[in-house]
Amino acid sequence: MGIKIRSPKDFYSGLVFILFGVLAIALSRDYPMGSAMRMGPGYFPSILGGLLILLGFVIAGRALFVGAEGIKGGAVRPLLMVLGAVVAFAFMVQPLGLVLATLALVVISCLGGLEFHVYEVGLLYLLLTALAVGLFIYGVGLPIKVWPV
Amino acid sequence: MNRLPDVAVIFSRFKPILSRRRCLVNMKLVLRLASMVLAAVVLTSAAGDALAQTYPTKYIRVFVPAPAGGGTDILARIIGQKFTEKWGQQVVIENRGGASGTIAAEMAAKSAPDGYNLFMLYSGILTINPSLLKKLPYDPIKDFTPVAIFVQVPNILVVHPSVPAKSVKELIALAKSKPGQLNCASSGIGVSNYMCMELFKSMTGVDWVHIPYKGGAPAMIDLLGGQVQVMFNNLVELVPHIKAGKLRALAVATPKRISAMPDLPTIAEAGVPGYENLLWYGMVAPAGTPKEIINKLSAEILKIQQMPDVKERLNTMGAEPIDFTPEQMDAYIKAEMAKWAKVIKEAGIQPE
Amino acid sequence: MMELINHLILGFGVALTPINLLYCLFGVSIGTLIGVLPGIGPLATIAMLLPLTFNVPAVSALIMLAGIYYGAMYGGSTTSILVNIPGEAASVVTCLDGYQMARQGRAGPALAIAALGSFFAGCVATVIIALFAPPLAEVALKFGPAEYFSLMVLGLVSAAVLAHGSLLKAIAMILLGLLLGLVGTDVNSRVRRFTFGIPDLFDGISFVVIAMGLFAFAEVITNLERKGKRVVLTDVQTLLPTRADLKASWKAVVRGTGLGSLLGILPGGGAIISSFASYTLEKRLAADPSRFGKGAIEGVAGPESANNAGAQSSFIPMLTLGIPSNAVMAVMLGAMMIQGIIPGPQVMTERPHLFWGLIASMWVGNLMLVVINLPLIGIWIRLLTVPYRLLYPAILLFCCIGAYSLSNSSFEVALTAGFGLLGYIFAKLDCEPAPLLLGFILGPMMEEYLLRAMRLSRGDPTVFFTRPISLAMLVAVAFLILMIIAPAVRRKRKEVFHE
Repeated sequence: MGIKIRSPKDFYSGLVFILFGVLAIALSRDYPMGSAMRMGPGYFPSILGGLLILLGFVIAGRALFVGAEGIKGGAVRPLLMVLGAVVAFAFMVQPLGLVLATLALVVISCLGGLEFHVYEVGLLYLLLTALAVGLFIYGVGLPIKVWPV
Repeated sequence: MNRLPDVAVIFSRFKPILSRRRCLVNMKLVLRLASMVLAAVVLTSAAGDALAQTYPTKYIRVFVPAPAGGGTDILARIIGQKFTEKWGQQVVIENRGGASGTIAAEMAAKSAPDGYNLFMLYSGILTINPSLLKKLPYDPIKDFTPVAIFVQVPNILVVHPSVPAKSVKELIALAKSKPGQLNCASSGIGVSNYMCMELFKSMTGVDWVHIPYKGGAPAMIDLLGGQVQVMFNNLVELVPHIKAGKLRALAVATPKRISAMPDLPTIAEAGVPGYENLLWYGMVAPAGTPKEIINKLSAEILKIQQMPDVKERLNTMGAEPIDFTPEQMDAYIKAEMAKWAKVIKEAGIQPE
Repeated sequence: MMELINHLILGFGVALTPINLLYCLFGVSIGTLIGVLPGIGPLATIAMLLPLTFNVPAVSALIMLAGIYYGAMYGGSTTSILVNIPGEAASVVTCLDGYQMARQGRAGPALAIAALGSFFAGCVATVIIALFAPPLAEVALKFGPAEYFSLMVLGLVSAAVLAHGSLLKAIAMILLGLLLGLVGTDVNSRVRRFTFGIPDLFDGISFVVIAMGLFAFAEVITNLERKGKRVVLTDVQTLLPTRADLKASWKAVVRGTGLGSLLGILPGGGAIISSFASYTLEKRLAADPSRFGKGAIEGVAGPESANNAGAQSSFIPMLTLGIPSNAVMAVMLGAMMIQGIIPGPQVMTERPHLFWGLIASMWVGNLMLVVINLPLIGIWIRLLTVPYRLLYPAILLFCCIGAYSLSNSSFEVALTAGFGLLGYIFAKLDCEPAPLLLGFILGPMMEEYLLRAMRLSRGDPTVFFTRPISLAMLVAVAFLILMIIAPAVRRKRKEVFHE
């Protein structure tokens, strides 16, 4: 196409906003709109979606002419590991209890870091688990399962 | 399995034994199965008793269709506290307010009927919602088993002092002379005070604009500020303001006068004969919860009602205890459901 | 005046008894701890501790619960400054400059100013409550839905000003936040919006989920990308604020206190916007607004004072009218009712011990909090020196437990991860999360007030301009917008002129 994107950050931001705006309007079509006096549940979201699309275009448009910074590259591993750790915890804590879920969390998240020393991670895990159980289960009294049974 | 021979004997006395061998075998099989079923039933009920004896062994979850601090919530916490004192297990209150209590109700209906999931609710969820709301995400009869009714609380009709009406009759006249001008607040669609209002509207024909709020507190703010002029609300939320002269009480919605405010006429006396509306709070469990556990809970709640410190608290809240057995409660709920269905239909209130 | 002094003597007499001092200490300590732990907020804690108050005298119970509430405010600023996790709406703004200060090695001064500013605000607010509670409550009642809507609009525009980057993107983030706030069951129509049939979403997305995802998780990921290098100085000198810091902050503290006290009395949700209103005010009044967002101490001093003042003055509608300003106050009301006290205007006259005892205890509690929190700063700083590779799993764990504890739902924790991803994308794209969070908080309230105002006015939109208070606020909005646009316009004109 030959059009140089001057500011990728702004350009993709604009796209993200447009995407959300379109999503909002599309989903709102299922809800009754109502009138000005009796605004239905679809009224406000549609307006917001519309505004978002508009702004998205403006921002993306400007990005074609203004700006010079590129997007700094990202390492995939920290992203995957941190989010993976949280998701693992989320789905393990109910069936398997706090202790095992914490194990998954600590191990996976440490895999996202620079170094991984098994002893260090193990020690950290033991410390954190003791702290968590002591603080949240005995201290605050949260009704979370600690062990799988 | 000692029962097998006895059962076989009894059955053999009453049923003619077919001569054919296959049928004999079938008969024996049937008898054996029947005995096993009987034994299983006996064993289960014994286990059930044992279960009820050891219940509860872990924390109990109580769903509450109101945010923390709301009326239902306070009552749930009082009961929960007493449960914990008696049985030593934690009671976790799950507040899921909003949406006319349907969120909490749906979650409670779908929860496991093992006795560790309970639902503290107000009457409207079972008796009014089915006729008022189009798509109910739960079935009030099939999804729940009644445990106990805890208390009943009266609703009062109040107006802002700026309204020139000193009695129900005057209010009706005023509203009729100014159609569409007065504002009446409610704590939400489907909530008891909303029903009070709708019933009043249909029986008197007044035309005022309904302003729904998310709960009692925001409604009270606007009522005290004069943004809305009329409201039906429960005794507790209104009493301090009535006493301070910030609001004028016109009548009570209950069938009989209440002891907390004996000078206040009932709405039926004051100009709308036949009007009555009773708000009660009670507990149910998801359908399928073992009967022994239900009985145990019900008995405990009845005991709690009689405790002096609880009685005192309930008194300040204007709440009067009601002691029904689970069966009586079941019958009562069904009767109320029918009554409100009729009322709503006759009033022409459209399901939303 | 004499009457007031008599009341205060009575109050202190109640508050300073050993048993009440103990309850106060207990309350503020728990509150601080709760405030520091991400996810678990004062509401959940107070609700959980409610049963404990059954057998305890009413005054002591209320003193403890109140202590938890404003103690959590102090604790919340700690997490906002140290690890960029806002515990609740009021702490979001503190993250902006507070965390930047921490990254520059100035966590000590930031924490100290937050504590001192909060203390000043707490004391002043207590005096205001003592003197002006009933008349202020009357003023508060004059605010109807139209006024609240205009106030929220003012809050939103302030949210736009908060951004230190692109204004357009900030506005878009606000809009997105507004949309996210609409997820859930609509109050008026009971229609479920954007819930995709997931029961955990029927009540909307939890603030904690979004805040943790966008702020905490995104921060952890970007830090790891950056090879985990964070600058932390541990000079003893930098534990305390410098004279220059104090000089720069005291005006912000006073202004913040004033703002917070005024906004806190509005039962419909004024206290929430007090911290961002304060931030906007400070940014506008500062000689060099570009410092904001990069570690300007006024950006911590003002909002912290504002939100503590707001927290204290939000007791006014509860104590004088019996109307709760927010969910925590509602639980306090519940606690009072369980004790057999009917909250309302008569509490002040029928139970002076309770009323004045509670007010006096607020002063005592604030003092305790400063005494507790200042030395703790040293400990927090030491915590920061722990190598990041050991720290971040702890942060993740505490956040996950906090998120899970909201409603024992795995879905909510997973959703937090989803927002973590979104937060990461936004960080890469230079879109600021704070305006989104503010839009998220204000959105549902705005819609509710808009609908109600329109309903009361029977569909007449001019109601926002005909009611004096509402009009005044919209004028302020217009003014604010002008101030935002003006510098940009001036710049454009300069460019044109030069060409």
